[in-house]
Amino acid sequence: MIADKKYIKRSKSFDRFFEYFFMAMAMLSASFIVIIVLFVFTKGISPFMKNYEYGQVNLFEFLTGNVYRQDMQIYGVGFIIINTLISSFLSLLISFPISVLTALFITKIAPKQLSGIMQSVIELLASVPSIVYGVFGSGVITVFVMKLSNLFGVTTFGGSSLLSVVLLLSIMIFPTLTSMSITAIKAVDIDLEKASLALGATKMQTNFNIVLKAAKSGIFAGAILGLGRAFGEATAVAMVAGNKLFGPTFNPFDITRTLTSTMLAGLKETTGLDYDIRFSIGLVLIVVIFTSNALLNYAKKKVGNMS
Amino acid sequence: MKKIVKLFIMAMMMISVVACSGGNNLSEEVKNTDNPVSSVINVYTRDASSGTREAFEKAIGLEEGSLTDKASEVSSNGDMATKVGLDVNGIGYASMTTQFEANGVKPLKFEGVEASIETVLDGSYKMQRPFNYVTRAAHDYISTDMEELVSAFIAYITESVEGLSVIEGAGGIVDYTNAKPWEDIAVNYPVLNQDNSGLTIRTGGSTSVEKCIKAALEAFKPLAGNVNFAMNQTGSGDGPKRTIGEEKDGANAVEIGFASRDFKDSEGVDGSNAAYGSFCKDAVVAIVNVNNPIENISADSLKAIYNGTLTSFEDIK
Repeated sequence: MIADKKYIKRSKSFDRFFEYFFMAMAMLSASFIVIIVLFVFTKGISPFMKNYEYGQVNLFEFLTGNVYRQDMQIYGVGFIIINTLISSFLSLLISFPISVLTALFITKIAPKQLSGIMQSVIELLASVPSIVYGVFGSGVITVFVMKLSNLFGVTTFGGSSLLSVVLLLSIMIFPTLTSMSITAIKAVDIDLEKASLALGATKMQTNFNIVLKAAKSGIFAGAILGLGRAFGEATAVAMVAGNKLFGPTFNPFDITRTLTSTMLAGLKETTGLDYDIRFSIGLVLIVVIFTSNALLNYAKKKVGNMS
Repeated sequence: MKKIVKLFIMAMMMISVVACSGGNNLSEEVKNTDNPVSSVINVYTRDASSGTREAFEKAIGLEEGSLTDKASEVSSNGDMATKVGLDVNGIGYASMTTQFEANGVKPLKFEGVEASIETVLDGSYKMQRPFNYVTRAAHDYISTDMEELVSAFIAYITESVEGLSVIEGAGGIVDYTNAKPWEDIAVNYPVLNQDNSGLTIRTGGSTSVEKCIKAALEAFKPLAGNVNFAMNQTGSGDGPKRTIGEEKDGANAVEIGFASRDFKDSEGVDGSNAAYGSFCKDAVVAIVNVNNPIENISADSLKAIYNGTLTSFEDIK
């Protein structure tokens, strides 16, 4: 009996130790977000302060300007924000139906073996590094866009264009969207489907009217994640965007400039205001992502409540 | 519902057909593209922090800030060559060491002078830039041995026949006029005769100099008691910053910093206590697509193209 008590006591303190240990780990990882945000924030707002060493930048002009010229010290990101929103939402628009239908096919329609293969293909796509997508984008997508533009009789900058960015991003967010949709569709209660079938609905009717409707909240979550990736993608986008000096860009064959490509261009070689302003752009990017996520989450709730 | 499904499937098929037709054409024929839609000029430039861009704009006399809004910014010499190689209407510029033919671009004569080692050295080819070095300030080294080694290395890359030929082999344009054999220089540096394998020379600054300096350091190592070296090239701005500037005592501190442009007044390189100078030259070359018929371009035309007043290849005189 005594031995048992000792054992229990020891295992309890052992448990407690690990509880604290895990808590410490969780705190450590959570503190990174605080550190990063604090760092970017302090560095990012410094150019707008009165006693900024390279000359104060007007915050309002920075946020609403439609010219970004490092050589003239004009930093306006208003048009870049619009460009980023345009390219990200357009790519979501293209990718969303394709991903949802792919997910539906994989989970409900494809024979078991095929769906297994398809699913691992999607997972493989998700793990392709963005620089590889970038190389593909500048080697294949831009060439395709250039040919397309010649058909329309427009000149492009060797295919670098808004359209290339949109196409590239839609390919890149496709795996995220699809795998989230697959998870959501798999989570739909099988009884719902059975009930629908028993009531005389066809398989397709069931898939579209019951399964997709029941899974829409999860699918929407996938869209939010995908959009986050589209907003944040830098390397690949910078390779096909062309970095226009003013904007915003609405013509799909015209070159564009996104928040991320602006931050990336020449980052390694620059100093002073031109360096610090990239942190401000990073801050803008974080705000843009937070707001659009919040809006989408709100929309998701609305969609989720609809029956 | 069925109609919707059909529509979706049709849309997907169309997309995949279009995507495939794009993919299949990735061959030689694509690089040197189809008919230009018009002879409009697409202007390519580097981001404003690039040393190559600075050298180019200075050479053509483009005032700061007068670059045309219609320009597209690319990220590197290689990126420039790729993009202009894909765009028959494109014009850009790149370092002379860039692969021109492989990327489908053609180097242009500048003011009637072809870029070559001879024309750069004798100064007749005007679009060129210096590769500069700056060391730590005197007595600001971890040891006197290190200080001597650094000045020996600087002597090696600026004065010795051997050092210059190594840099030349790595693509730099060097001037042999005042060069001496290394033996004559080495006698001034007794530190070279001892075992220096415990010391590491750190270099930083411009990425453009990386190839030349790496070759020079590798050749210098056996001559200097097997001294080690660590290169961390991040951009011209970091050269002075990490030797004599704000980061000189930080984790990124280096013994020798490099810049692929003249040092700026703000960088504090004035020779008051830190040695600095130029060890070779690099030339910037204006490039167009191989299918573009023009061969020669003047500084005035380039300036007009880059400030947006000249927008068609037919108007180039």
